[in-house]
Amino acid sequence: MTLNSNQRTLILILFYFFSSILALTTYQDYGIHIEEKFHRLNGFYWLNYTSNLFGFSEIQKIAEIKMNEISDFSLSSVSHYNKYSVLLDLPSALVEILFKINDVKNIYYLKHLFSFFLFLVSSIFFFKILYFRYKNFLLSFLGLFLYVTTPRILGDSFLYKDVLFLSIFSITFYFLIRSIHQFNYKNLLLFGIFCSLSLNLRFFSILIPFFFVLAILIKSFGSKQFKENFKKIFFYLLCFFISLYIFWPYLWANPIINFIDLFISAKNNLVDVKIFYNNDFISNRILPDTYILNWIFLTTPFLQTIFFILGFFYCVFRFIRRYININDRTFQNDLWRGNAEKIDFIFLIYLALFYFFFIFLNAPFYNGWRLVYFFNIFLIYFAINFLFNFTNIFRKKKSYIILIFVSFILMIYNIKAIIKIHPFQSLYFNSFISEKIKNSYEGDYYGLATKHFFERILNNDNKKIIKVGVASHTPIQRGLEAISNQFRNKFVIVGQEYNKADYIFKNNISEVNSNLVKKYQIPKNFSKIYELKIDKIVIYEMFKITANKQ
Amino acid sequence: MKIFFYKSLLVLFLFLIGFHYSFNYVAKEIKNNIENNFSKEKIEIIKKKLKEEMNVAIDKDDFISKEDAVLINNFFNKIKSDLNRK
Repeated sequence: MTLNSNQRTLILILFYFFSSILALTTYQDYGIHIEEKFHRLNGFYWLNYTSNLFGFSEIQKIAEIKMNEISDFSLSSVSHYNKYSVLLDLPSALVEILFKINDVKNIYYLKHLFSFFLFLVSSIFFFKILYFRYKNFLLSFLGLFLYVTTPRILGDSFLYKDVLFLSIFSITFYFLIRSIHQFNYKNLLLFGIFCSLSLNLRFFSILIPFFFVLAILIKSFGSKQFKENFKKIFFYLLCFFISLYIFWPYLWANPIINFIDLFISAKNNLVDVKIFYNNDFISNRILPDTYILNWIFLTTPFLQTIFFILGFFYCVFRFIRRYININDRTFQNDLWRGNAEKIDFIFLIYLALFYFFFIFLNAPFYNGWRLVYFFNIFLIYFAINFLFNFTNIFRKKKSYIILIFVSFILMIYNIKAIIKIHPFQSLYFNSFISEKIKNSYEGDYYGLATKHFFERILNNDNKKIIKVGVASHTPIQRGLEAISNQFRNKFVIVGQEYNKADYIFKNNISEVNSNLVKKYQIPKNFSKIYELKIDKIVIYEMFKITANKQ
Repeated sequence: MKIFFYKSLLVLFLFLIGFHYSFNYVAKEIKNNIENNFSKEKIEIIKKKLKEEMNVAIDKDDFISKEDAVLINNFFNKIKSDLNRK
């Protein structure tokens, strides 16, 4: 069964149409995450700076007023933590002013939508990579579908944090492959721009240009094209640094010093907390080497993981075979044969590069594997690679039917998981994981459930003032912005002063070892009145005072 | 020349792997042990436990048995006399 060009286009249009409709109807279901306030502040901080610089005094005034209005005792100082990207924050701040959006939750939801649509745009580029590599519509579409519907990734795609980076990373990777395939100025210009945007979001993206330049230099060393390639590399680096400078106001005051400071200060600003991992509280500075792999295995649909492992090891063994057989005197003296294999090689090398970079430097992860959600394009790429090789090895009609059947299972599984756990897809665990294990790892680190918590209290308690204690490291006061303006003032957050509280919010997010330090221990005069449990994962627990004295 | 680079990169990679799983691994183990045994939280717990035990001792009628009291007293006297010896 082959589809003609019109049918393929129609399938893609339908996919994007339904994805957009679903996003537009559900984007307000996701709560407000705890870092939204900081990002809003970050947007106004840089809008204030840039409008001051360009003489837009009206905007600058409003930005300054709005910036001063944003307050929270637990909020980090934006003038200190000023190295965050402005990619989404600054335009959102401008939109907030220009369109006079006064209810803060609306601007957050708008950002959620922006973030999701950027994610959808990035999926087009991922599809193009797959189609360029496999020349197979079904496989490429399956890859695209998995890319968008991997539950954790989909849940996070609205939260403009790590999936925002995944989106930019995917586009960067597309231009990386294009640049390697067609080493011309147009591709290098676009690759340079997207590399700078990636670096803007995550400083470790510096590895992409670094190894790209190194690989090109190695390739052209001693060849006749060395001079020409050197010129192109220079052009690429120029584009990269210029766009880095343009898109990052942080560099405007002192480009070189600030750029260097980015890497120096990274070490000092690293998070140092205890994380709940495998039913124990461990320091995120001394994580086991298996941390990322374990999280990926637990929270990625099972079949997807299995296909990834098979596809990945197939490529590793082929790479080893090529490496052993490499010889200067043969015609194909490279680690790949042809363009298709070259793309596999690029994916393999960059995955290994990033993975070992984090392992060797003992990267202090927290909140699951969200900091490396960009690995998802590698996971799906190799999963599709396995299916491609499977159909290639068994060139029979039957294998194609099996492929369609497997694709169907993968798609249905993801859709089912997404519906089942909505709107907490970002907390998804694969269905083969037991309830005990699911609850032995960090849960709602973004505090998305705080919206649900406050709304539930409002529905059941008519008191004028409701005092809420927090038995968690989650700053739940930030979740108040998710509920209507008129109800926000009803709540007083008393933190760990449980003797003042009417209700206590509890989840398993803790910055200290809660087995030893009892700061998040629920007093005996409180009893559990509600527990939000989805797909056997305890999202949060609600406690209510039953007696007056502790 | 290209093959020379490939081989150099492989050697570098193997060196890093070797370094990580020897030196880094041991360093991590030591850090882990220190973290598990001497962390601020652990020390706080020990302090708290000590205080609790002291309170228990205060509340007891006879915390030290007669025999132990004589033994400890003699031991202290012995140390005292040794320290005072010129």
